[in-house]
Amino acid sequence: MPEMLDMPLRPASPATSPQVGRSEKVRILSVVVEDSPNTLTKLAGAIRRRGFHVRGISVGPGRQPGLSRITLEVDHGHAEADQVRKQIERLIEVHEVQDLTDDDVHTRELVVAKVDTSELARLLQHGAKVISSAPHRTTIEFSGSRNEVFDFVEELARHGIVDVVRSGPVVMRRGA
Amino acid sequence: MVLEALEREGVEYIFGYPGGANLPLYQHLPEHPRLKHILVRHEQGAAHMADGYARASGRPGVVFATSGPGALNLVTGLCTAYMDSVPMIAITGQVVSTQVGRDAFQESDVIGATSSVTKHSYLVTRIDQLPRVIHEAFHIATTGRPGPVLIDICKDVQQAEAERRADGFQIPGYRLNGHADAGQAKQAAEALSGAERPVILAGHGVILSKGEPQLRELAEAAATPVGTTLLGIGAFPVKHPLSLHMTGFMGTGWCLKAVQNADVLMMVGMRVDDRVTAKLAEFAPKVTTFIHVDIDGSEMGKNVRPHIELVADAKAAMAAMLPHLGPVRHGRGSWLAQVDAWREEHPLRYKHSNGRLQPQDVLIDMYRRANSEAIVVADVGQNQIWAALWWNYDRPGLFINSGGAGTMGFALPAAIGAKFGRPDVPVWCVAGEGGFVMTAQELSVAVEHQLDVKIVLLNNFSLGMVRQFQDDFYGGVRSQVDLTHMPDFVKLSEAYGMPALRVEKFEDIGPSLDAAQRTKGPFLIDFRIDPEANVYPIVPLGKSLNEFWEMPSDG
Repeated sequence: MPEMLDMPLRPASPATSPQVGRSEKVRILSVVVEDSPNTLTKLAGAIRRRGFHVRGISVGPGRQPGLSRITLEVDHGHAEADQVRKQIERLIEVHEVQDLTDDDVHTRELVVAKVDTSELARLLQHGAKVISSAPHRTTIEFSGSRNEVFDFVEELARHGIVDVVRSGPVVMRRGA
Repeated sequence: MVLEALEREGVEYIFGYPGGANLPLYQHLPEHPRLKHILVRHEQGAAHMADGYARASGRPGVVFATSGPGALNLVTGLCTAYMDSVPMIAITGQVVSTQVGRDAFQESDVIGATSSVTKHSYLVTRIDQLPRVIHEAFHIATTGRPGPVLIDICKDVQQAEAERRADGFQIPGYRLNGHADAGQAKQAAEALSGAERPVILAGHGVILSKGEPQLRELAEAAATPVGTTLLGIGAFPVKHPLSLHMTGFMGTGWCLKAVQNADVLMMVGMRVDDRVTAKLAEFAPKVTTFIHVDIDGSEMGKNVRPHIELVADAKAAMAAMLPHLGPVRHGRGSWLAQVDAWREEHPLRYKHSNGRLQPQDVLIDMYRRANSEAIVVADVGQNQIWAALWWNYDRPGLFINSGGAGTMGFALPAAIGAKFGRPDVPVWCVAGEGGFVMTAQELSVAVEHQLDVKIVLLNNFSLGMVRQFQDDFYGGVRSQVDLTHMPDFVKLSEAYGMPALRVEKFEDIGPSLDAAQRTKGPFLIDFRIDPEANVYPIVPLGKSLNEFWEMPSDG
């Protein structure tokens, strides 16, 4: 339980709405980068140096070998909103940046949690899936939009979580 | 392998210092007599020399340093070059690849320490990467918005042999913005011709793109006055009737008046930083159309949101604007007359030497001799602003200084680098005594190579700019600015093996400069200037450009 309390249920900044794509200060970027040991430090350095703050991040392989895709939610602080994209684009390790902030997007975040088996029914009703079960503990997963994940985590908090981990977001434009 | 690649890139000079992790490079250096290596006395000196070389010659400067402290001593020099968009290649030795990450002797995370002050950097752990990396590094350093590129090469890679392969680029993430958008160029040209009170501000980007002829043509065709930034000095002749001289918080009064009253302001090849805008909210408050031209798209809106933006090479952008300039709007004559009136009303003034030697008298005498041919390399502080304002630079490349980073200690090594880059041109180094002692060990390099670098020390026995700020903006508390305890600079020069003079009187300025010019090799003059001499005009910190102070008339 204490772990749960330490974890912010909503993003820290009051200016940030949990509704991804609707906040004033957070930009959502999909970035294709070189898969090299320097890339993440350089990206993180460029973000920190300009006074931006990473609110969410996920990294996975890109479609081409040697490339990775990073999904970023970045608070741009006092800088002009478009500076996040421009500053990241300057990096030579960065091949492509799409700013999806104002687009119609699908967003998914993942939660994996261990719960008391006795509490399982309600969570399954909520849409969770069982990954593995033991006599008293069951491990479940849930994925959804940020709002759905927030609601699910709040629900979890009422059901005696043993442990929980959450991913950063992955985002894709809607439509063809 | 590294040295061959450098030869292929046409490198002439390397400024460097050997150590454990770059010994293989130095072992093979004598086999490459075309690569002239200048042994510095501190790695920071090497970085500034390469910087001065690049600014004076237009070719990238090359630096060698060993791992750990050697590489880390370059950081200030890399930052100086990065802030001012100077092309440079730093090649640092790294511990052998199998030792990386084990806290080996003289190991440090050089990429981590330098990535915020380089345009790009590489860690080379395999020999097959090397030819491509070196070729790419030169390409990246010298194209687009130039900047320093660092290549950290593991010692075992330096020793490895490999077949030379075709040099190809693999940099799909590197985007170059060269061409100007025709539509935006037309819009910008129309805004300029249609303006009632237009002003152009020109930065370093105009000089880097060699766009001075286009700037002059544009200014004349659009009857528009032109100011320059500190680094843009030389982009427009100071004595041109349309010149506003230097802008910014220590710019000329008539330039600041023009900027603050303009209705259309075109900013070309510049970052529009805080030294140019002073209080941002009150910068150019009457402007209805900001036009911003810069090759780096991230400069658009970083500080001032332009109405018309041209992400392009400055020269190309101005060339694209020229055909679209219409007849200038009626009434332009009265704007130019107003600017002329401000020039009369707010001239640059100084207190002539009367018992106490004034720095401006020294600079004016130097300028008279320079005949628009000599290069001045200034340090940072009052000496820098005096040198910027009191020479009437009429073309680019004559004034070199650390504008963005404001690195004290820059002038002497940069002047040495500039002399290597332009041996045909007289080079003057102008410095205060505070900055000078920060890198004075490089005098050995000037003496060793008998370089014709003339050092003009404007010695006021204090950190003058800091003292002026303390007097005016920090309650008059003079705190830690007293530099009475300094070496005897004449004896110091003699100890290094070069002649020097001390000058305390106005009458001795001319003869001492004569002596410096007559002497072959380096020469230092310790000008004991008025310790109360100040820089004017100046905008008080945090105030708008409207509120500039001029020299008090009682002086």
